[in-house]
Order: sequence, then C-alpha cells, then structure tokens
Amino acid sequence: MNRSKHICLSLHCSLHGRYHELAPHLVPMDYTNDPDVKVPLALIVNMPELKENPFRNRIVESFSEDGQGNLSFNDFVDMFSVLSEMAPRELKAIYAFKIYDFNVDNYICKEDLEKTLNRLTKEELTPEEVVLVCEKAIEEADLDGDNKLSFADFENMISRAPDFLSTFHIRI
Amino acid sequence: MELREFHNKVHPPADYDISPYGSQRSLRLRTVPAEGTSAVHFDWGSTPENAEEPDEPRNLRELPLHMGLKRAVWQVQKMRVPVVSRWGSWRIKQSKTFRHFCEIAKEVLSYLVPWKRGIQKIGGHFGGGVQSYFLFLRFLVILNLLSFLLIAAFVLVPSIVFRSIGFNSSIPLSVNLTSVNVCLQYDPKPDPLAVFYTYFLDLVSGTGFMEYSYLFYGYYHDTMVESKGFSYNIPLAYLLTAAFYFIFCLICMIIRMGNVASAVVATDGGVVGRYSMLVFTGWDHGLQGDLAAKLKKNNLRYQLQVDLEEERLQQKAASLTLGQAFALYALRIFLNLVVLALIGGTFYGIAEVTQFSQSEKTTGFNALLLQYLPSIVITTSNFVVPLLCDKIALLEKHSPSTTVILALLRAVFLRLVSLGVLLYTLWEQITCKGETSSQACTPCGYKYEQYKCWETRVGQEMYKLTLFDFLITIGTLILVEFPRRIIVDHCSCKLAQWVGRQEFLVPPNVLALVYSQTVVWTGALFSPLLPLINTIKFILFFYCKKITLFQNCQPALRTFRSTSSNFFFLLVLLFGWILASVVLIYSVAKIHPSYGCGPFRFSPSMWYVVPEAVDMLTSTSKDFLFYIGSQKFSIPLFIFSCVLLCYMGALTSVHGKSVALLKSQCKLEQRDKQFLVKQIEELNATMQKDEPQLPQRDTERFYQTEQEWNGYNNNAFIPDEDPRAY
Repeated sequence: MNRSKHICLSLHCSLHGRYHELAPHLVPMDYTNDPDVKVPLALIVNMPELKENPFRNRIVESFSEDGQGNLSFNDFVDMFSVLSEMAPRELKAIYAFKIYDFNVDNYICKEDLEKTLNRLTKEELTPEEVVLVCEKAIEEADLDGDNKLSFADFENMISRAPDFLSTFHIRI
Repeated sequence: MELREFHNKVHPPADYDISPYGSQRSLRLRTVPAEGTSAVHFDWGSTPENAEEPDEPRNLRELPLHMGLKRAVWQVQKMRVPVVSRWGSWRIKQSKTFRHFCEIAKEVLSYLVPWKRGIQKIGGHFGGGVQSYFLFLRFLVILNLLSFLLIAAFVLVPSIVFRSIGFNSSIPLSVNLTSVNVCLQYDPKPDPLAVFYTYFLDLVSGTGFMEYSYLFYGYYHDTMVESKGFSYNIPLAYLLTAAFYFIFCLICMIIRMGNVASAVVATDGGVVGRYSMLVFTGWDHGLQGDLAAKLKKNNLRYQLQVDLEEERLQQKAASLTLGQAFALYALRIFLNLVVLALIGGTFYGIAEVTQFSQSEKTTGFNALLLQYLPSIVITTSNFVVPLLCDKIALLEKHSPSTTVILALLRAVFLRLVSLGVLLYTLWEQITCKGETSSQACTPCGYKYEQYKCWETRVGQEMYKLTLFDFLITIGTLILVEFPRRIIVDHCSCKLAQWVGRQEFLVPPNVLALVYSQTVVWTGALFSPLLPLINTIKFILFFYCKKITLFQNCQPALRTFRSTSSNFFFLLVLLFGWILASVVLIYSVAKIHPSYGCGPFRFSPSMWYVVPEAVDMLTSTSKDFLFYIGSQKFSIPLFIFSCVLLCYMGALTSVHGKSVALLKSQCKLEQRDKQFLVKQIEELNATMQKDEPQLPQRDTERFYQTEQEWNGYNNNAFIPDEDPRAY
C-alpha cells in the first residue's frame, strides 16, 4: 500500500527493492498476503542515505509504530514519502518536531537542543558556546515564554525558514 | 491487529473508482506484480469529492497517523459514500481523469528538464548555494535556446530561403540617393588571396569571411516579398523579432523573480531567527558520504562561530567612544573614495583603449591584439578590481555579512558600468558625439569613413567580448585550477597547504554569467546568431564547471544564503536587461541605419519600417491600433493599473498587520494559559495544605487538562496514545 500522492510509480517499486535488501531473509518479495514483518533499527540506519545522518536513530524511531525503530514496509514508505520533495510543509514540520524531541515529551527543551547541537557540530563547540547558542535559539523561537519550544513555536519558526523544504529532504 | 482484520473484510472499491486507467493504477498500487490479488486497492487519488465535506479527504493525506489508522479512517469515510446524481458522478470521474492526466504530464515534463540528476548530485555534495548557480545557468541556457529558435524561425530561415530563391533588395523610388553615394560603398567580401592564417584571425575577430555571413547584421537584405496570398517583410520581421525577444526574456525573468520573491516574502527574508534556523534547518538530510557529512558539520560549526563573532562585534561597535567612532567613519569614507577612484580609473582606461583600438589600422597579429584590447582590459579589471575591493573591505571593519553584500554591490557596479562605458565610447565614435551635422558625420548621419557598416561593427565587438570571456574561463580552468589542485595534492610544502584547494565562490561566478548574458542582449540586434553562440557557450560552461567542481574544488567553508541571494542575482540580471534595452531603443530610434548594408538601409531610422507597415494595413486594423496607442485609451489604462497597484499595496499592508496581530494574540493566549496553570497550582497547593488526605488523582486530572490544551494546539500529539504525565 502506498501514498502515491508523494511517491511516483517507479520510486515505489524501487523502495520495495531497497526494503528487501536491508534484510533479505526477513522480508518476503511477495506482499500480497500483507505479512507482518518489521526490520529492526540497527539494519535500517546502515542504509547509505541514513548512515552519515546524525539524527538517523531519531528519524527511524519517529516513524516506527512502537517508537523503538522497528519499521514495517508501510512505515518505511511513510518515512521516505515524508522526506521526499513532494510532501507538504506542514507534514514535514510535524515529523521534524518529533525528530528533534529527544525525550519525547512533546516539547523541545534545552537538553533536546543541546543534544541536537552536539550532534550537528560533532561536539567541537566549547560548552559556553553551546549554552549561548541554545539560549539564543530558544529566545528567538519561544513565543509563550516557557523556555521550551512547543509545536506551535516550532512550526512558526519553521514557516519562516527559507531552506527547510530543501534541507529536510532525503533523495532516494 | 484488529485494524488488519477489519480491512480484510472490506469489499473491493466501488465501481466509480475504477477509471479507464484501472489496470495501470492497480499496477501502481501493487508492491509486487501479482495476479488476482484480493487485497484492498488503496488509491489515494480516488477519495470521493464530497460536496458536504471537502476538507476531509485532503486532510487524510496530511495527518501524521500511521498507515493502519489512516486506513481505518479511510474505510469509515468510504462507508459514508453519498448518493450522487449521474451528473455528479460524471463530474467526479472527469476531475479524477484530469488530475491523473496532470500527474502524468508533470512526470513527462520532469524527464524533459535537462541535467536534473546532475544538479541534484551537486546540491547533495556542495549545498544549496552552489546548486543555485547551476540552476541559474540552466535557466539561462533554456532562455537562450528558446530565443534562438524564435530568431531562427522568423528571421534566419526566411532570409536563407529568400536568398536561395534569388529575391534581392529593391531600391524604393521615394528615396533620393544621389547625395549619399559615398555612404553606399561597402564591400566586405573577403580577399581570396589572403594568407591562410587570416582565416583564424577572422574567425576570432569576426572580420573577413565571418563578417559577410548570417552572423552579422550586414548580410541581411531588406527583402519584401509580396506574392499572391503570401507576403513577408524581412526588415519588419527583424525588428519585431528583436523587440519580442526582449519582451520574452523580460517575462521569463519576472516569472522567475515572482517565484523566488514569494518564497522570500513568505519566510520574512530569513533574517530573523538566525540561530534557531541554523540549528533546526542547517543540516541537509540529503547529504551522503562520510566526507560530505564531515564538511557539513565543520561548515555549521564555522557558521555558528561566525554568527557569535558578529554578535560580539556588534556589541563592541555599539560601545565605541565618540572619538573611535569618528575615526572609524573617517576611515570608511576614505576607503570608499579609494574604491571609487579605482573604479573611475578603470572606466577611463576602458574608454581610452576603445577609442585607440577603433582608430588604428594595422594588419596581422597586431591587428588582432588591438581589436581585442577592450575585451582584455575589461576582463582584467573585472578580475583585479574586485580582488582589491575585497582587501579594502577587510580594512573597513564591517560585520561579515555586510562585507559580503558590499563586495557584491561593488562588483556588479563595476561590471555593468564598464560595459556601459564601452558602449558609450562606441556611440561617441559612431555618431561623432551625437552631432550628426559635424563634418565627419555628414551626409550619412554616422562616421561613414570608419564605419561603413556600423551595426556590424557593434555586433563584432559583442562577439569578441563573448568569445574572449569564454576563452578566459576555459583557460583559467585549464591553466589555473587543475594545476593548483595537482600542486596542493602532491606537494606537501607549507605554501601549498596554506593556499589550499580552490573554493567554488558563487557570487563572482553568477556575476560572470550576468555579464555574458547582458553582452548577448546588447548584441542580439546586431548579430542574430549570438544567442546560439551563447547557448553553446553556456552548455560547455555547465560541463566544465561541473568537472572542475568535483575535481578541483572543496566545499565552501562559508555557506551562501541561497534564497535571498537568488532574488538579488535575478535583480542584477534585470539591470543588465535594462542596459541592453536602452541600447536597443536608442539604436532603433535615433541612429541612422547604414546605407551600405543591412535590412534597414533605405529607411531614415530602423523604427520607420513599422509606421510604413501599419500604413499598409486595412483601415479597421489601423483604427484599432491607433485607438490603442492614443491618449483616450492609454491614460485610463494607466490610471486603472495605478488603482490596481494601490489596492494590492493596501491588501499587503492589511495582511501584514493582521499577521502581527495574530502573533501577539498567540503570545497573549499562551501567557494567559500559563497564568491560569500557575493559579491552579497555587490553589492546589493551598488545598493540599488544608486537606493533605486528598488523593493524588486530582493533580493528575489538572495535568491531563493541560495535555488536552496542548493536544489542541499540538498536532504531533497522537490521539489514541495514553496521555502522559506532565
């Protein structure tokens, strides 16, 4: 089953091929009986498209039903369809928020931001710089003054970002 | 698990879902080609267009639910299929077919767009800034190609056909030519006994065998064919094609600017919220490869450090004493004067060199050098002066982003105005500084001794500029960038490491493209094949730049803000267009066309063919055209457009104000919510103090309400998950 609005025909067939490649012994080629197969996190983050991504674990966890990163084929297609260039901005913003929310409390707090920043710069900023940047980021985006970003704050900030659609995009 | 059983029991989709493209659609849906499957064919495109609930089907696609939940919602929706009339179901089918057709058309068009994969790869490895350069290059290639097809269809092909049939120009009886006999002498046919290397010289400078060819204006005749049922007026076609070519380029540029501008406006120009945007949208998820990821991380770290540094500088600047501020401003004014003097000196040099090269007459290799002297001076100054300006800008102690913008503005000013100076000097030479009554310029209206066919000469200058620009770029690639990489990679001395690999700087490259395009626009009237030459040149540029990018360059340490800069580059291209159109309008309206060559040789000005042609129309068409051009029509039209503009401006400001209002309302609501929550907590605390035996559940209930409020605003909240404790 697919989300054919976001993914075109040839891409969908190649996605099934890629999914099968991840775990050939686990994933059947024939999906007519809709088997209940889930590929574990460790195998998915080894894909070349995700291998160098500092947020690969969070990305896969956000699209899995159990929150542990085990993706069925539908979740796999979901993931690449949201990350494709044709998904609408609102949908991408929703999933981006989920990805950056490390402790899954529906808020991006300072600790989440610090973890994000460390992964982005491979921990080469000094601790003072990290704290300064996190403070400034929250100050810029926080509308309600509770020192953390709710989804409304995040979406408001993302709507003003010119490059969001082009950077939140995995080419497969 | 219940969901799976649930949808397995569902019937196959209703009849009206199966469109003429049924088999194709089911192939699309199946993950694996299988026959006789009984699984549900889930087609997002066939969601029923309920007149009563138009929002539901669309929202389904955008809900962040898992597939199982979405399927359940879709099944429920399907159950509620309304009874539509025959007309209603026909309309639904038609709209679905039309949407399917649009999808297929979009897919086909995306195959036709050239270099899509290549540009994606470039974007993946080097980022959005470099990708925007290649996208701009592709836009210019397509523009030039379409322009050439236009010119070929209306001017080139008819000229070739008429010349081969044997139609020649006819001297109209109304023109008295005895007084201008001396102007009619023009014999560009090449000397058949010339030395062989003159062919190469001619190829490179547009003289000799190149001069009397379809490349330049002078070869075209003023053929006016009128036979039974078919008439073709080459001069009119030439002029109108040139005018339409300019308008077509303007429309393409404006459409592209509109697209970019709407993105810029929607995102407030990307100025506010530097840090948060860098942290959340800085990482390009499309990057692949270990090296690219490492470089991107370095890049982000560098950007953050630069932003922090800029902040520190701003604070320092704000805290300057009066004396220090005064000294700084005095230094800046002095340096600006130095830059202006440098640029002014360049212009003077270009003017002198152009005058010199037009008047001297030598042969052989010296002649070639002399002819190329203006191009050499322009290119050298375009290379040296921005370099010096960069060094000077460092002394001015602006913030890094201001420095970049200043450098860009200076480079743009230099390039466009130096081209303008060249054209002005040419004009001075051709029209004796505008005095057509001076001795050298009578009786022809232009300096006939030096310029027997002045349009061809201008065309030749533009041709030489284009060619020289191309040679220099390719030469730099081969002689500078490849050796630099070889030296840096293999030599381990400190100098090589300090110099480092080439960085692909986007602004100078884009400005070079804008300059080339402006030259082509200026020369298009005088050299109709110039857009074709430019298309080929830009295609070669694409491949050469791509090769040098991947072989020789390292990704830039400083990223380039692509969206607002895209708009800036299109704006600069528009300025180039304005410069070229000024040249066009002036040449068409004021300067007398050459008597010895070209399709306008017997008209007092190039524009004159249009009133002549209008005279030959029927009276109804004439009346219609005159009415459109008259004051009765144009003034009300102008007033109407002003009113429309004011309306749009008012709408924009109202929307901006309402956006600001809504934002502050948002903030206030959140603050109210927080205030209420605090009140509840205090109330709780006092209640707990009074009655400590109250069960803990009360507190949980309040926190749950909080979560519901959150859930209303928070789309990431999944509805059927257990509400977590706050």
